[in-house]
Amino acid sequence: MINKMRNFERYGGRLFVYGCLAFLATLYLVPLWVMLITSFKPLDEIYSGSLIGLPKQFTFEAWSKAWSTACIGTNCVGLSPFFLNSLIITVPSVFVSTSIGAINGYTLAKWKFRGSDLFFAFMLFGCFLPLQAVLLPIARVLGMLHLSGSTAGLILVHTVYGIAFTTMFFRNYFVSFPDELTKAALVDGAGFFRIFFSIALPTAIPIAVVCCIWQFTSIWNDFLFGVSFSAGGSSPITVALNNVVNVTLGRKQYNVDMAAALIAALPTLIVYVLSGRYFVRGLTAGAVKG
Amino acid sequence: MAFRLAFCLNLNWPGNSRNDMVRRTDIKRYFADQLPKIVLAPSGLIILVITYGFIAWTASISLSSSRVMPIYDFVGLEQFIRLWSTPRWYIAVKNLFIFSALYLSIATFFGLFIAILLDQRIRAEGFLRTVFLYPMALSFIVSGVAWKWVLNPGLGIQNVVRSWGWTSFTFDWLVNPNYALYTVVIAAVWQSSGFAMAIFLAGLRGIDNSIIKAAQMEGASQVRIYVSVVVPMLRPAFLSVVVLLGQIAIKTFDLTFALTNGGPGGATEMPSMFMFSATFERNQMAVGAASAMMMLAAVVAIIVPYLYTELRKPANDQ
Amino acid sequence: MRSRTLLLGAAICGMMSATAQAEEKSIEVIHHWVSDSEVAAVNTIKQELEKHGVIWKDAAIGGANGVNAEQSLRARIVAGNPPGAMQMLGYDASTWAKEGVLRDLTDLETANGGADLIPPDYKRLAAPDGKWVEVPINLHRSNWIWANKKAFDAAGIGIPKTWDELIASGEKLRKAGIIPLAASDEAWQVAKIFDSLIIDLNGPEFYTRVALKVDDKAIRSPEMVKVFEKLRQVRGLVDDNFVGRDWAVASEMVASGKAGMQIMGDWAKGEFLAKNLKPGVDFLCFPTPTSTPNFLWAMDSFSMFETTDPNLRAAQDELVKVILDPEVQIKFNLIKGSIPPRLGVDMSKFDDCAKQAAADLKTAIDNKSFLGTLSGGYAAEPQFAAIFKEVAGKFFVSDMSAQDAVTLLADEIDNAR
Repeated sequence: MINKMRNFERYGGRLFVYGCLAFLATLYLVPLWVMLITSFKPLDEIYSGSLIGLPKQFTFEAWSKAWSTACIGTNCVGLSPFFLNSLIITVPSVFVSTSIGAINGYTLAKWKFRGSDLFFAFMLFGCFLPLQAVLLPIARVLGMLHLSGSTAGLILVHTVYGIAFTTMFFRNYFVSFPDELTKAALVDGAGFFRIFFSIALPTAIPIAVVCCIWQFTSIWNDFLFGVSFSAGGSSPITVALNNVVNVTLGRKQYNVDMAAALIAALPTLIVYVLSGRYFVRGLTAGAVKG
Repeated sequence: MAFRLAFCLNLNWPGNSRNDMVRRTDIKRYFADQLPKIVLAPSGLIILVITYGFIAWTASISLSSSRVMPIYDFVGLEQFIRLWSTPRWYIAVKNLFIFSALYLSIATFFGLFIAILLDQRIRAEGFLRTVFLYPMALSFIVSGVAWKWVLNPGLGIQNVVRSWGWTSFTFDWLVNPNYALYTVVIAAVWQSSGFAMAIFLAGLRGIDNSIIKAAQMEGASQVRIYVSVVVPMLRPAFLSVVVLLGQIAIKTFDLTFALTNGGPGGATEMPSMFMFSATFERNQMAVGAASAMMMLAAVVAIIVPYLYTELRKPANDQ
Repeated sequence: MRSRTLLLGAAICGMMSATAQAEEKSIEVIHHWVSDSEVAAVNTIKQELEKHGVIWKDAAIGGANGVNAEQSLRARIVAGNPPGAMQMLGYDASTWAKEGVLRDLTDLETANGGADLIPPDYKRLAAPDGKWVEVPINLHRSNWIWANKKAFDAAGIGIPKTWDELIASGEKLRKAGIIPLAASDEAWQVAKIFDSLIIDLNGPEFYTRVALKVDDKAIRSPEMVKVFEKLRQVRGLVDDNFVGRDWAVASEMVASGKAGMQIMGDWAKGEFLAKNLKPGVDFLCFPTPTSTPNFLWAMDSFSMFETTDPNLRAAQDELVKVILDPEVQIKFNLIKGSIPPRLGVDMSKFDDCAKQAAADLKTAIDNKSFLGTLSGGYAAEPQFAAIFKEVAGKFFVSDMSAQDAVTLLADEIDNAR
């Protein structure tokens, strides 16, 4: 009898878990579904009011247009060159800001000094700055550095505004890194950098993955800085995407819009799919142990 | 200070007397002691300029008469008075509070709920995790359009459900000025609850299983274990979630811009949109700066006490 | 260290672009034309400019009605790196002229025959202090109604002469099973109806007081209450799915006969022509009904930024010349759906709607009823225009009373003064 109850509880519980997950997953997939089917529809079908249903006529036209012939202003070259721009901007900014965050986080967690927690809070506050408010001073500084309108300028801006976040990730990770290990190393005569490079950093790969994913997503998807600090051909993909999508007085090509959006999202999607496992593992490794 | 001076002198005039040798080790030790601060100094300096320096700049603009371009004069609190007598601003502030409260609590709830479900040793966890995470990867410039369709009463959910035969079904929040804000909450929760899920899932994986086992031995039910044992242990995860989602809530811009563009009839106006349009569309740069200062003040009022207590905790525990 | 390398890199890039400039004349132009037809139109300027030996470097930034481009421009001006030229709407050029960053184009404009050949109300914005700071490429009419001929025939209605008649016709369309008016809740689309109502019901003088002079008395007058009441009636002609509807989707509804009418600027024409529909046969174009014929205009213009680089100045000179060239204006506007802003340009290649616009333009200039559109930002200054738009949009989607709307409008405008 008791066993039966337990079984019922167990199977009922399983059913509940899977039921909830299936239901939620479906909900989460609806917008992606809408985007996908729209990108495979001919434009006339969309304008005649069929937005949610399956395409009557299946076509890849919108995808090839978005990739190689859509007009970004008068350059009808599609998103492909801007895709490269975004990579050039994103990769170094992610790398540099993550590196700075790693050493900062290590220092704040393992080499505490008077006021180091205050210093951390002082940095965290930077995460909340509404960036639209500070566009003009950034522009002024970039102008003084002669970096206005250049890729280098964008890399610099993304890097420095990423420091607060990356420091937070690593600091929260290293806080849970056992003090005994660092202390033992100190006794053995290892210094600040030695401990960082040969003891702390090798264990921090998972959190580095998390940090890179976060930075990659936010820099790749950034529109505000891209539109303000890049010029013409050096624009990141979000600015190009905006030019494809944000048509006010012309006809909206919804199928191309959706295909373009999916292309623009592809790298981040791939990053999420491939490193999803490390993502959670990385967070598990201690990012959240505060 | 004296040490630093000696350090400079030492560099300039390297001596070889015994006295100098002693001093050099002193310096080395001093240098080693100060190393953490030296390492942090460049970042601190950068943050000082790009966060606090620029906040100071914004503050000075908010006290000026700037319209199109910055003018560095002083008109006192005129722009703040102007700001607070703009009905749109009140709507924006009210919306931000409603939005942040709902968004933070619902996204946290769903994040935690999904994480707990995923933590039940289920099949296809990798796939499901990606499903819940992917919305973070999409730019809202476009997924906003998809949401618009889904939520549009004549085209989306309402239409579909009615076509199934339930003809009285109504889901017209997007159209209704009283409910449109909730559609923004729905889209925002969709976009970032996956991230909260990942953080909570990580927190759950970090919890020592023996604690849960002990509770099970005592005969506590599964739900009870989660509510009174596991969730309280996720406290640090809550800190990360609140900081990461909180900054998204306050900066929320793309979302409302793409989904409702502040409509219908200004019902979903947000402070960040107000600031953007004052600065770049209405040529009221100083009013825009004043609104930015108010937003920062709100951040200080809400987040800082939270950060303070949370950061204090581990120090007290130790 | 890192920033030093970056600096060095930037310096090298700077030198490279400087040498490149010495070899060829080029001009970087910021604009927000990004749809296929708009791009095709811009290409006519680009190609003609290249015939003059100047390379057009494109810096298109679409979206948000040019606000994104405006944001980019400000960042660049603050950084000391302005573009060569930029597309200007509404008050943009006069605003930037006050900041002293625009070139005075008076001589160029006169030499190329522009200054005297452009309609009068434009000068208010293009030459704020008597000096020309922008040159126009197109002239849009904002207050058109686009109608489905078959739907009109089915409902047994003709072109309405008054707004009351229009509303009555709408009811007849509804009885015939047709959505009377295809509209959207987007504030700028609602404002198109709103500013037509202001001028149509009360005449150009009243419109000037409300929309151009932002006169408090006129805004609080009972006439404005009536305008809002009429807007409420027009709202009754719209179906329930109007939220977030794109204007082109609304045009599509009219073209397919699902809806009877749409109130929209002349860019909507392209939607009908693209389907091989003929004006007068398949679809109708007529101005919003009024006893005082008027023409609410919107123009796209270009301004040149002050520079000391002689090559860039020469490129700017060529660009001004090309924009004011009647042939370029014809080619550009044939694609864009608008009409050439230069008066007296040969209209023979244009369709009937455009011809009617050109004819109405002459009458309107004579009657002093050729006035900038409020919704497009060509009447009141931006801080006020935005409030008109916002209140009209809010009124349209809520059940606010007309009197409350007038009070809200007037109070918000007072606060922005």
